[in-house]
Amino acid sequence: MKRRLMLLKRYGFALLSCAFLSTSAFAAEDTAPGVKGASDEEYTPAKEVLTVKYVQMEKPYHLDVESLTGSFKDAKEVVIPLQKQDKAFPNGGGSVSNAEVKAIHDGLSIYFQVKWKDPTRNARAIAVQEFRDAVALMFPLGTVLMDPAEHFSPRMGDREKPVNLWHWKSDWEADMLVKGELEDVEAQYPNMHDDFNLNPYSAYYHRDLITSIAVLSGGRAARNLLSQPGRGRSVEDLNAEGFGTLTTQDHQDVFGCSRYEDGEWTVIFYRSLITEDPHDAQFVPGGNTFFNMAVWNGGEKDRNGQKNISIQWHPLSIERVAWQ
Amino acid sequence: MTLVHNWHLGRRMEYPYFESRPKRQFAAVFNINRCIACQTCTMACKSAWTYNKGQEYMWWNNVETKPYGGYPQSWDVKTLKLIDNGENTWFTDEKDEKLSPYGVYEGDTIFEAAAKKNINQWAVGYIPEDKEWRSPNIGEDVAKSNNKSDEYSSLPEHSRWFFYIQRLCNHCTYPGCLAACPRKAIYKRKEDGIVLIDQKRCRGYRKCVEQCPYKKPMYRGLTRVSEKCIACYPRVEGKDPLTKGRPMETRCMAACVGQIRLQGFLDDNPKNPVTWLIKHDKLALPLYPQFGTEPNIYYIPPRWAPRPYLRQMFGPGVDEAIDKFMVPSRERLAVLSLFRMTQSIVFEYKIEEGPKVFETMIHGKKFEMYNDTVIGFGEDGQEIVRTTIEEPIHIRDPKHLNSI
Ligand code: SF4
Ligand code: SF4
Repeated sequence: MKRRLMLLKRYGFALLSCAFLSTSAFAAEDTAPGVKGASDEEYTPAKEVLTVKYVQMEKPYHLDVESLTGSFKDAKEVVIPLQKQDKAFPNGGGSVSNAEVKAIHDGLSIYFQVKWKDPTRNARAIAVQEFRDAVALMFPLGTVLMDPAEHFSPRMGDREKPVNLWHWKSDWEADMLVKGELEDVEAQYPNMHDDFNLNPYSAYYHRDLITSIAVLSGGRAARNLLSQPGRGRSVEDLNAEGFGTLTTQDHQDVFGCSRYEDGEWTVIFYRSLITEDPHDAQFVPGGNTFFNMAVWNGGEKDRNGQKNISIQWHPLSIERVAWQ
Repeated sequence: MTLVHNWHLGRRMEYPYFESRPKRQFAAVFNINRCIACQTCTMACKSAWTYNKGQEYMWWNNVETKPYGGYPQSWDVKTLKLIDNGENTWFTDEKDEKLSPYGVYEGDTIFEAAAKKNINQWAVGYIPEDKEWRSPNIGEDVAKSNNKSDEYSSLPEHSRWFFYIQRLCNHCTYPGCLAACPRKAIYKRKEDGIVLIDQKRCRGYRKCVEQCPYKKPMYRGLTRVSEKCIACYPRVEGKDPLTKGRPMETRCMAACVGQIRLQGFLDDNPKNPVTWLIKHDKLALPLYPQFGTEPNIYYIPPRWAPRPYLRQMFGPGVDEAIDKFMVPSRERLAVLSLFRMTQSIVFEYKIEEGPKVFETMIHGKKFEMYNDTVIGFGEDGQEIVRTTIEEPIHIRDPKHLNSI
């Protein structure tokens, strides 16, 4: 019996591997390992259109949720159903079932307001077990046709079908409120001792250390935006061409602000309608495009593909400006 | 998943990528029997790579006390529970020198357990919390005991026992960390098999922290991305001026006071000391081979610890390795004498025979010692070290007795 088991282990696997290889060769056309193919349903955009309402705005001195909410009052919301990400490894999410989106523009900038329920505010990712709350919007690059034949994935775009993503992070927003613009390790561990202080505003500021940063801090030396202090924004501007390809743009154009109240996040993204960056989605008044979105619940350890996603593109129609 | 051959397990196993072995594999042999847990290796690494902000808790190299200690705490017990509940079942009646030198592992690897449990990620794992990473050797010197009066030191196995285990990233052939990363920010170098995290591509998801069974990738709160042992790659590449372009052993290896460490590359040369000890003599064994990552730090098991525990930790090769270590052959003794004789990586050794100097019986077996000379050669074939089995004794002239 033992021996038979062993034979199975040794040769059975070899046979299995042949079977496996042939199936994976067939499947390789549209999926990567650990990725399930999408259905036609997913390639068909949702019916309900989100209208980006044209409003004349007095630009407030401070762009924050309080001063901007008023401008959204006539914009009609679209409720986006969210679900667990179940196509690409690692799967996960499922704790946030929907989000409400509104959008406006003033002829210069476009604003998206996203609201969703989350009983816990997780706005720091310093301890190894802590993850941030976050939300992202995604737009196809250029003018695209969204029909099932096109196979434009609503998940992360696809090869030759690039998308532009705006990823708001709760901890980036918290970073902006502290001197040096990066919550330092002391924020999490107030009494922690360290020999070398990198915070240029600290009492122990040490010029030689700061300038030898390449040796001291891999993430910063590699110019990883996540590691940089003083980003000056809470939204990261990215591109992707399918699962695992997310890449930070060299030129960051998107901003955001947020409020957490009564178990609900309100996040506002804003950017000028048109930018000079060829990697950005462009919003032309009178035009149409699509968007999709995802929400991460840090309290549930959501990050990367472990997220709450909408599995369809949603049409976006940008109102003409008054003088058009 | 694809099927790859894992020679530690003596069989094929599932892995998300195809088998792709490096030209030569960064590897090391640690002689547990000699370690004194002085943590000089730990500090050598710390002072080279992790002395900075946000790395306070990081010990890319650490030495911990078994069975109770662990950094992070209980990492081994927790991971074993995720695979076969710690059961380590092997079929050892049939072996193949190359393909299955220890027999065939019959349980699940971290990858197979994940597929079986349908958890929709590549490997089973968990993220240790910050408090679990508190010390490089928490529970230092805590022994396991049966609390009987007769338990004091009688060989071959002590019933009150502990030992030290020296740990760093295993630069695995099938890394769990690499499989786990949804961004492919982790890569294994073709030239030397060193596994690195790309600091630009990493987005701090901590999937590697979760799915490395050895818990060696570590998240850095300051930079919001993960870091791990880099196998001191500038030294291994020969960039340190000290060895004049020759590949050089890593900081933690070179600093070893107990002289327990020998680092080099696992390749096809039977006269490469690391390859010889691992593949030919089978004196050095992988740590928890059942995880399935084919780790590349190999251990000479401690001869006084209970065998079932050691078999769980190093697989079924334990008994043979201990027997060989207790009564070393002429060649084995010579190769063991190379440990810590030079910082340059030894690529090949040669033995020149010397006279017999000693003879005794060890556990009923005859042991003869010859004062052979062992010579180590570098990558370029040049002699880089020469030593004898008997260390030369120098007696200080009485007039200098008190001087240094
Ligand atoms: S020990 Fe862990 S971190 Fe190192 S290569 Fe293996 S899986 Fe990766
Ligand atoms: S090889 Fe280098 S980086 Fe890795 S643990 Fe040793 S000293 Fe540290």
